[in-house]
Formats: sequence, structure tokens, C-alpha cells
Amino acid sequence: MGLVVIGLSHHTAQVTLRERFAVAEARVPEILQSLRNSGVAHEAVILSTCNRVEIYAATALDQRTAFTKLQEFLASVHDYRDPLHDEIYTLGEPQSVHHLFKVACGLDSMVLGETEILGQLKKAYEISLQHSHTGAVLNKAFQKAFNVAKYIRTETNIQRGSVSVGSVAVELAEKIFSALDDRHVMVIGAGDTSEKTARALLSRGAKSIIVSNRSHDRAVALAQELGGRAVHFEEWADEFEKIDIVISSTSAPHYVLDRTKLEPLMHRRKNRALLLIDIAVPRDIEPEVNFLENVYLYNIDDLQAIADDYLKQRKDEIARCEAIIAEKAQTLLGPRRPSAEPTPRARPAFGHE
Amino acid sequence: MSIGSDKLNFIVAVTLYGVSAIYSIFVFRKGFRQDNRVNYCLLLGGFLFHTTAMFQRGFSLNRCPIHNLYEATAFIGWTMAAAYLCLGLWSRLRFLGAFASPVLLAIGIFALMPGLDAKSGTMVFSGGWLSLHVALFVLAYAAFGLSCVAGLMYLTQEHDLKFHKFRAVFSLMPPIQRLELVSGRLLVAGFILLTGGLIVSAIWARKVSVAFVVDPKIVWSLFVWALYLALIVMRWKFSQGGRRFAWGAVFGFLFVLLTFWGSSLLSPIHKPTP
Repeated sequence: MGLVVIGLSHHTAQVTLRERFAVAEARVPEILQSLRNSGVAHEAVILSTCNRVEIYAATALDQRTAFTKLQEFLASVHDYRDPLHDEIYTLGEPQSVHHLFKVACGLDSMVLGETEILGQLKKAYEISLQHSHTGAVLNKAFQKAFNVAKYIRTETNIQRGSVSVGSVAVELAEKIFSALDDRHVMVIGAGDTSEKTARALLSRGAKSIIVSNRSHDRAVALAQELGGRAVHFEEWADEFEKIDIVISSTSAPHYVLDRTKLEPLMHRRKNRALLLIDIAVPRDIEPEVNFLENVYLYNIDDLQAIADDYLKQRKDEIARCEAIIAEKAQTLLGPRRPSAEPTPRARPAFGHE
Repeated sequence: MSIGSDKLNFIVAVTLYGVSAIYSIFVFRKGFRQDNRVNYCLLLGGFLFHTTAMFQRGFSLNRCPIHNLYEATAFIGWTMAAAYLCLGLWSRLRFLGAFASPVLLAIGIFALMPGLDAKSGTMVFSGGWLSLHVALFVLAYAAFGLSCVAGLMYLTQEHDLKFHKFRAVFSLMPPIQRLELVSGRLLVAGFILLTGGLIVSAIWARKVSVAFVVDPKIVWSLFVWALYLALIVMRWKFSQGGRRFAWGAVFGFLFVLLTFWGSSLLSPIHKPTP
């Protein structure tokens, strides 16, 4: 008896089609029961998320027949009569096992390396297990998939790091300051990105947010929203003594903060470390200030470059993850011979977005 | 030097620390990641030879081998290696080997400097005062050594953060503020121990009536004390924290390592009589 997969995902089908095939959680047991009654599958698990609908089944039929019958079953359950072409993919061993492992690790997900899918896969398996629709083949395969996902999370960097500008700023802050809970953040010029970055810092425990903007009303509104205090634009330098992180995003055509202004301020701050995040274009902070001791200046491009590096690194890790998956699949399939029959309409290489 | 002698084992250990230090250069370039097993194994190998050397020396003399400068230095290195190997059991902390190995190499080479491994057949002084005197100084220099390691880590990470290197956020290193704090506290702890050691020595010297101030080693110790005092005053009085302080901690310890043996050899009361 072999493991087969049939389904559709964001790689192959538009959302309009995926929503037609989506299965509500409450209906899953009943569908699994009718699938087993039909004699196509001895064991089955249905995974239905917003990005994929898949049936994992253990069948004694030969692959070609099994795939035809499964596809018919899938169409009949959803009462779908239009012709289906490349939207549905079918995978036999060993590709089916590889695919299951990849899904569990988030390698097949829209956001590469995300972890939500593992929870969804576990849930789908639990439902099937509770209603006794799984057996030796699927139990073994799914347990192994969960192990592989855990192994890959600890051994590779596929899930490490942030891929957005806001969270990179938080990571930087955490590499400079021992703890963010007693850090004071100042936002100069309220904008969308600066607000997001400030929120990210707040969620890690950063203390008061002092917003300063040319239009004081907007500053007050945002300060209230973020639980901070608004300060007039002309007075922001006076507040500087207790500030540790500055997020600047004004639309000023000239530098708001330059070296001559910052130097005496640093002296008053007793040269404590200062993180300056300049997300304004044109820039708000003179690049020269980075030469001052204990000042760390990052502009929007620097942050973006770090985020890009993280993404690049995740992509670099794909090959390593796939090697691990191939090896683990081999140990699972070891005693059983992979079927020599070619898999119809299989897509051995999935693209990764 | 016969094959299998304790000195030879020690040289093998120092060589392994050296290989690990060279390997660390690559770890530095790559940024600090989890997969640092090579370094751990190299240091473990070095540690095993180091331990063998110390046991051989200890059994041959029938006492704890910390009675001359070679033995004491080897002992400090051994403690540091042991501490790293324990910390390295956590894979997140294994990267510390990249900082431990250059320091272990430096300490090893220092221990092998000529003239340090003198036979201590006739000890002029002995007893509780001697133990206290040695213990305080050994602990003080160990604290300065660790402060230097933290300083090196600070300088690496600070440089990466300043120049927007990706590995600054990606490495497993603690935040620079914590490194600065650790380095500073260790330095103060070392300074207090050094002060204690000097006071104990002064009291003890009066008891056994030794000419106290003229000895080169004592002058040297007072100089080191003043050096660290200056660093501390700079840090807390003139807020010269950060990079300058870290350089101070590194150069301070380097100075100690490079001149300790020389000052000991020049000093008649510290040079063991053959």
C-alpha cells in the first residue's frame, strides 16, 4: 500500500478555484468516511487551508486508477463539473512523501518557511486520527513529517530572521540594547512605516513614545493611539536626554538632525548608545553622525538590505532542507520499494515564491 | 624533553588551541552561527592534552601544580577551557570558542616563555598568606582576561553594527550593551581583587620584613593597578564607555600578558631560587 497525494495549491490554482474546493472542518469526517467507503483509499487525511486543499491517502490500487478515482471523488464532493487540467496535481511515492515533508516545513508555502502550516497539518491529522481514518501508512508518514519539520527548524536557518523593515529595526535594537523594556523611543514625523516600526518596538516592551510632528494635532492623535506623549516639533531636542531610539520620517527637504546638533546632545546623554532609524526620503539625518561614538544610524536602504539578506538566506537554505527531506524520506520508505510506474501529471519541481 | 612528558602534552594542547584560533578567523568572517562543532572539538582535544599534562605534573610532584608561573598560568588556561567546554554544551553558546581560542593560545604561549617553569625546590615563603596572595592575584588576572574576551566580542559586534553588516543581526552574539556591562563589571571585580592582593602582600611583606617598594614586580603590579584605575575612572567619570573602554580592556590584558613574565624574572623575591 502506498501514499498518494492529490490536491491543488496556490502554485497551481487561483483563489477562485481554491475556494470552490475548500472543505469546512465540520464536513471533513463525513467526507473521509465516504472516501473510505468508496474503496479508493484505506486511510486518508484532508488538509484544507486558504492556500491548499489536499487529500493524503493510502491506497492499494495502482496509481493511475487511484488518481483518476480520487479526482472524480474530489469533483463530486464539491459538485464541480468544469474540466480540470493542470490545476490538480497528483503525486505517488516517493514524491508524495517529499511533498508532505515540504508542506510540514513551510517550504511549499507562500511565505517561505512560515510555521502556521505545521499547526494546520497537525490539526488535519488529529481529526482523521480521532475518527479512525488513519492506519499504519499515514500514521508513520505524518509522525515522521512532524519530526522532520522540527528538525529542520532547529538545524537550518529557513525560519530565522525578519523579512520586513519594521521587524529588522526591532532586531537591530535588540542587538544594541540589553532589554527593550526600559528604552525610550522618539518618533519624529508620523508616517505609516514609522508607526509600524514604533508599534513593533512597543510590542517588545519599549517605554514611552514621544511623537513630534509639524502639525501638532496629528502628533497628539498618534501619541494617544500609541500610548505616548506628544511634544512640539521645536522642543524635541530638549527631550533627547532620555531617548535611546529615534525613528525619523519627516518630509523635510533638509536634515532635521545633523552632526553639529547631535554632538552636544550625545554629551548630555553621557554617550549612551543611540539607535537612529531614518526612513525618510530625502533623508532626515546627516549620514556623518554615524562617525560619532556610540551612534548607530540606519537609513531605509540599510534596513531593506538586511531584510533582503534574510530572504536570500532563506532561499539559500532551500537546497539544504531538500537534502534533509530526501534523506528522511529515504529512511521512511526504506523497506518499501518506490513504485516504478511513472507518476501521471506529477510536478516534481515546485516553484518557490 | 621526553616523549609523553607533561611539557610535551602541554605543547600539543597549545598547538590545538592555535589551530582552533586560526579556524576562528574563518568563523569571524562567516559571522557567528550555530554550526561551530569543529572549534568545540579542537578545543576539547586541546583540553584533554592539557588535563593530561596537569595530572602528570601534579602526580610527579605530589601536589596541586600551581607553584611556579608556568604551572599557575597553565592552570588559569585550563579553567578557562573547562568553562568554555561547559558553556559550549548549549549549542547557542558554542560560538564563544571563536573568542576563547585566541585567548587560550595567548595564555599557552605565555606559559611556555623561557624561565617561567623554574624548579621550586626551596620555597622561601609558604603558608596561608602565600595561598591568599596567589589566589587573589590569579583571580584578578582571570577577571581581567574574561573582561578582555567580552571586550573583543563587543568590538567585533560594534564594528558590524556600525557598518551595517548583515551578520550583526544574524550572529548569536548578545547585545553590545550587555557585553559592555559584563566587560565593565569583570574589570571592576578584577580591580578589587588586585587591590586586595596588593594590600595582603603589603601586610604580609611587613610581617616577613621584605623590602617592599623597590622590587620590580611590585612596581609593575602598582603600574597595572594604576592602569586599570585610569580605565575605570575614564569609564565612570568621563563617560568614555563603548569602544574606547573595550579597547582599554583588551590592551590592558595584553599588556599584562606580555610583561608579566619579564617583571617576574626581574624580581628577586618572585623568582624562585633554584
